[in-house]
Amino acid sequence: MTHHDPRAGLTSDQVASLLLDSAPYLSCDECFERLDAYAEAVLADPRHTDVPLQVHLSACGVCAQEARSLVELLALDG
Amino acid sequence: MTVVSDDVVGVDTARARASWAADDPWVGELRDPDGAGRAAVLRLRGLLLRATRHQVWSLRHQLPRAGAGDLEDLAQQAADDALVDVLRRLDSFEGRSRFTTWAYKFGILHGGAAVRKQAWRHREVPLSDRLTVVDRAATPAGVSEGHDLAAAIRAAIADALTPHQRRVALALLVEEVPIDVLAERLGSNRNALYKTLHDARQRLRARLAEDGFLDHLPGGSTR
Ligand SMILES: [Zn+2]
Repeated sequence: MTHHDPRAGLTSDQVASLLLDSAPYLSCDECFERLDAYAEAVLADPRHTDVPLQVHLSACGVCAQEARSLVELLALDG
Repeated sequence: MTVVSDDVVGVDTARARASWAADDPWVGELRDPDGAGRAAVLRLRGLLLRATRHQVWSLRHQLPRAGAGDLEDLAQQAADDALVDVLRRLDSFEGRSRFTTWAYKFGILHGGAAVRKQAWRHREVPLSDRLTVVDRAATPAGVSEGHDLAAAIRAAIADALTPHQRRVALALLVEEVPIDVLAERLGSNRNALYKTLHDARQRLRARLAEDGFLDHLPGGSTR
């Protein structure tokens, strides 16, 4: 859900996204490289962390959706 | 130790092959151009179709006018594209996950790309490096605000970013153009645009910190 910030014409989500700290840097290709192992690790242990990958997922909407979709698909397979 | 011997590489390769054999005995047959290989490729395409269908249906809200048949066509086409991609990159599978998981991510990638491309096919991609994009929804009261965070952000967008960084950041984060769609329109790629966005965010954060808005920065100021 986005909330409009009438002062700037930007929603609070847009402001947060513009100012997000996306360091440490990880490229979309590197994210894709690691995504399969990450998805399996998260399903095995929801507390699994991979900081650079998780920062990328918080900073890149399309990669984040792909990660969610992969985890969902693996969960469906059981 | 920084020395990586051929032996270590050999062990990794052997481990990858062992992983294929243990998890998915049919995977090794993908390289066989004859009978067994054809069956393995068909099986792989089935896996990829499962992933592209899952992804296309996950994103169907982006295609409100598409019927079930249209979505299935997209999933089938994406499965074909994913199959080509997987077969081309078979050697890069290192056994860090199950082969099925590795293959699925190609189905997810191509399924998503197909939906986004279709969704944006007839839409103009807003490419402005002007702040009018940002000001579009501003209210008179908002315009009169002087020294608050919003004004600081607008100033930082105007002053701290290059025109290219501004165009990319505004298109991706304000206009919500998907990164692969934007890349295609700009003749670029996801990596290059994400790097531009990363640099733009760093510049905006640095400017906001300079302006004394450190406490307002999401993710802390030192990460
Ligand atoms: Zn990404």
